[in-house]
Amino acid sequence: MPALKAADVEQALRKGGSARVDVDVAPKFKPGQRVAVRNLNPLGHIRAPRYVRGRSGTIDRDHGVFVFPDTHAAGTGKSPQHVYSVRFEASDVWGPGPPGDGAIYIDLWDDYLEPA
Amino acid sequence: MPSGDHGHDHSDVPSDLALRVKALESLLVEKGLVDPAALDVLIDTYETKVGPRNGAKVVARAWSDPAYKMRLLSAGGKAIAELGFKGRQGEDMVVLENTDTTHNMVVCTLCSCYPWPVLGLPPVWYKAAPYRARAVRDPRGVLKDFGVTLPENVEIRVWDSTAELRYLVLPQRPPGTEAMSEENLAALVTRDSMIGTGLAKTPGQGEAT
Repeated sequence: MPALKAADVEQALRKGGSARVDVDVAPKFKPGQRVAVRNLNPLGHIRAPRYVRGRSGTIDRDHGVFVFPDTHAAGTGKSPQHVYSVRFEASDVWGPGPPGDGAIYIDLWDDYLEPA
Repeated sequence: MPSGDHGHDHSDVPSDLALRVKALESLLVEKGLVDPAALDVLIDTYETKVGPRNGAKVVARAWSDPAYKMRLLSAGGKAIAELGFKGRQGEDMVVLENTDTTHNMVVCTLCSCYPWPVLGLPPVWYKAAPYRARAVRDPRGVLKDFGVTLPENVEIRVWDSTAELRYLVLPQRPPGTEAMSEENLAALVTRDSMIGTGLAKTPGQGEAT
């Protein structure tokens, strides 16, 4: 890959590089549905934070179809799939807390989730 | 590495991290993978051109123009691009509205994901482990450290940017600003209010930081 030239920096930054994929992939889950994060424990980094692996939440919204970084980084393909914002009640993640302790919204790919 | 006001002997060798960065930079340049002139343009862009004043303009427009606010909340990236802000690390934007009953706060627990076109590069604390670990576990405590105490009936929603979506918080418009121009409103919008670790300033509270 040739090095980015000074004259091309502005255009490259403005263009960006979306990981959104324009393909028709059926979502596995719908907003409002209860899901659990699969308790994955591979060697190395994945994008499902450890603090919610095995926890249950509710699909808040479907962001659309994106490249799946785990396979893409490993060179085994883009595996396009839906990414959702999943709402986890703080008390479901950390245990009972003070009242009104809120919620955590985490962006998760289809392959990280299973029906709860 | 920062130099400046320090008391140690200048014959100290640079830190391991500084040496590693220098070694990497030399290698990348020597192998032709990085053009130093391009690096200078990149650094200048995020030092002098792209920063949280962009986001402040977006927020002030949303406060002033209800139709724009609706577009911003339903299709963040497109509405932000109307003001000319778009590109790297802002490709897929979501805007979160703070209200009397909901306060949104953004973190990236896995690394340091941040909406560059509207906020520039993230502050050091945003990338540091203490904020990343504590924002999801004790958001009220973090807010308190930032000098913000919210009523108990306000639900705090912490958004962990684990995927490719980038989040911008639309802070609440401060009271007493009904007659203010969009430009003056923008001066009330702080960087932290758009991360959700702060609130917009009220008139007379001084310049935004």
